[in-house]
Amino acid sequence: MTQDPDAALMLAFQRGDQAAFRALYERHARAMVGYCHRFVKDAPRAEELAQDVFVKLYRSAHRYSPSARFKTFLYRVATNHCLNELRRGEYAARPASPGAPGGAEAPDLDALPSGAPSPQQALEAARLADAVAALLEGLPEKQRVALVLCRFEGLSYEEIAETLETTVSAVKSLVHRATVAAAAALAPFQPAAPQEVEP
Amino acid sequence: MTHPVEELTALLDGALPGARRTEVEAHLAGCPACRAERNRLAGATALLAALPAPPVPSPRFATRLAARLAREPAPAAAAAVALLTVRHQRAEELALAGQLDLLEEYEVVASLGDVETEEDAAVVASLDQPGPKGTP
Repeated sequence: MTQDPDAALMLAFQRGDQAAFRALYERHARAMVGYCHRFVKDAPRAEELAQDVFVKLYRSAHRYSPSARFKTFLYRVATNHCLNELRRGEYAARPASPGAPGGAEAPDLDALPSGAPSPQQALEAARLADAVAALLEGLPEKQRVALVLCRFEGLSYEEIAETLETTVSAVKSLVHRATVAAAAALAPFQPAAPQEVEP
Repeated sequence: MTHPVEELTALLDGALPGARRTEVEAHLAGCPACRAERNRLAGATALLAALPAPPVPSPRFATRLAARLAREPAPAAAAAVALLTVRHQRAEELALAGQLDLLEEYEVVASLGDVETEEDAAVVASLDQPGPKGTP
């Protein structure tokens, strides 16, 4: 684990190097805010949750041992915190962002892949975002986390297994079931007659 | 070979071991139903991949976090607080306390000044009381 630059930074912070903590923040702040946003769909609350994660990291640095990749350790802390927040239920009653259909925030047009989307494309993107938000809310917790880590955070099955403290085989099943659910939920957004891809 | 439906997502994600991947791909070559299911799953993953990126941290994110960390004790002092916090816990709880994911249980003690409701204050005030079984 010594090749993990994040682990090295965390160990440096344990020795009192405040700049190391700053470096960890700079490397992971964006990812943590984005990850938390996948759970609460509210930018200010996502930032609060991500701040909580970094505060936890700061408080508990003395307990850190590089027995796992730092990234999976950080995602585990964030996952537990976000799930605990969701279990408190306050997000279910949180009003939708102004102007956002259904409850998900309006898409950030600047974040769309390329070019300026037409109004129709923007509307379709908002509907898809709503459908994905509803999908995630309806999934069992572990499937939800596995799907987000796999599809949005780009973690490998091995990294997800480390994060969830389970086996790769279990992750394979979780990701598959969640993807099957996604296929059903997002069927209206699929092309009407998908062409078969040659094996 | 039975239909390897449960492995199609792993196949799409490149997470099947080589030998198994070869077997599943050979099955797909002769099974239209499995090919259709694979394509359905691939369509879903493509839609998820096409979603806009989530918001980036606002300019105030870093300053707010810095303000919160400024109120934190230095890491060494935080370690002492944590040790004090768990000193009354049972042995197995002490062992588990080393895991970060349990910190949420103890964090409330470290933020005594931040409780927001009377109910929270009552919970915090009772944390140091002996348990019902008289554990120290």
